[in-house]
Amino acid sequence: MEHLVGLVLLAGELLLTCGAEMYRVEETIERMGLAAGFVQVEGFATPTGLFISLHTADGRVYTRVRRIRKSFNNLSTIAKVNSLSRAFSEGTVTVDQVGEELERLRLTSEPDTIWWQLIGGIGAMAFTMIFGGNWFEGAIAGLTGALVLVLVAWLNRHPVPKVLQAAIGGIVAAWLILWVSKVLPIDPDVTTLGAVMVMTPGVAMTTAIRDLLSGELLSGLSRSAEALAVSVAIATGVAIVIRLGGR
Amino acid sequence: MLIQAIIGFMGAITFAYIYRAPRDQLVYAGVVGAVGWTICLVTREAWGELAGVFFAATSVALCSEILARRRHQPVLVFLIPGVIPLVPGAKAYLTMLSFLQQDYTEAIILLVSTLLLAGAVAAGIIIASSVFRTYSRAKHVRR
Repeated sequence: MEHLVGLVLLAGELLLTCGAEMYRVEETIERMGLAAGFVQVEGFATPTGLFISLHTADGRVYTRVRRIRKSFNNLSTIAKVNSLSRAFSEGTVTVDQVGEELERLRLTSEPDTIWWQLIGGIGAMAFTMIFGGNWFEGAIAGLTGALVLVLVAWLNRHPVPKVLQAAIGGIVAAWLILWVSKVLPIDPDVTTLGAVMVMTPGVAMTTAIRDLLSGELLSGLSRSAEALAVSVAIATGVAIVIRLGGR
Repeated sequence: MLIQAIIGFMGAITFAYIYRAPRDQLVYAGVVGAVGWTICLVTREAWGELAGVFFAATSVALCSEILARRRHQPVLVFLIPGVIPLVPGAKAYLTMLSFLQQDYTEAIILLVSTLLLAGAVAAGIIIASSVFRTYSRAKHVRR
């Protein structure tokens, strides 16, 4: 029984740290718990913590709390945990297989490759052009965006808060582009905008409002706070450079 | 228009990669993004930015729900990259920048528009997913 409780908890934790919706985490916990033979399963997920309570047929209750300290986006881990939990509830995989697979996902789901950041640069390029920049400004923003992502990923490995990471990212992006704009004919405003887009919390903000509208008040408020803090931090970084750069 | 569609595709597919969508779903996520961004550009000419973003978000969410069922993936895999060109991340940043530069009039205008746009995207997603969840629950109960 202890082992099964651990499995359910690990599946929920993986989903939360990889950025799944709250309802998906709670649904998965319920599905896996019932499939594992518990008679009543309660899951309560928030972006920073997970609470589960599993009732057995003979009246014992297992309750676990898991604090979620970091989160990133890994859609393929969400997809894998999702299909694993479905297979488990249909009985096509054994408990041991689920355990092994979840453990493997836990070890491999954190993004770390340099490619990841370089591809992110192409995203910054696309955004510069969505905002009306030309190809050349897009390319500069792409390079800067990739560099900022490398820097943020490096800072993320040290105990630096997310808000400070965003501020440092903003400073570096704005400073590099200010410097380039003195030599080459680019519009520093739109280029900086494109470069910092890789950090802006657009998705977080939309998810926050989505949570609020669908009644997930706690998750909605905490995501709104995160989105607000991150956008203030990026803007602060850029504003410092603009002030010092004398524009 | 074709160039804009390609830009939407690029934006969505790179973010699908950054968010580590499963490799074999990347192209579909990119197509969803291109569709959303093109619809947004067309409809906002006719009905204004807010309505354009709302319709684009609704169509992105519908496409994602359909693809998710067809390809047996969570909706997020297509939805998050798909709405990337629509979400007002840049506006949120510009709002804060205007506040810090003490341009309060501009900042308030941007703030309101950011919140309304994020609300429009969220509303579009919720409407599409409610329709699909109601439908699939009905099918489930019937069975």
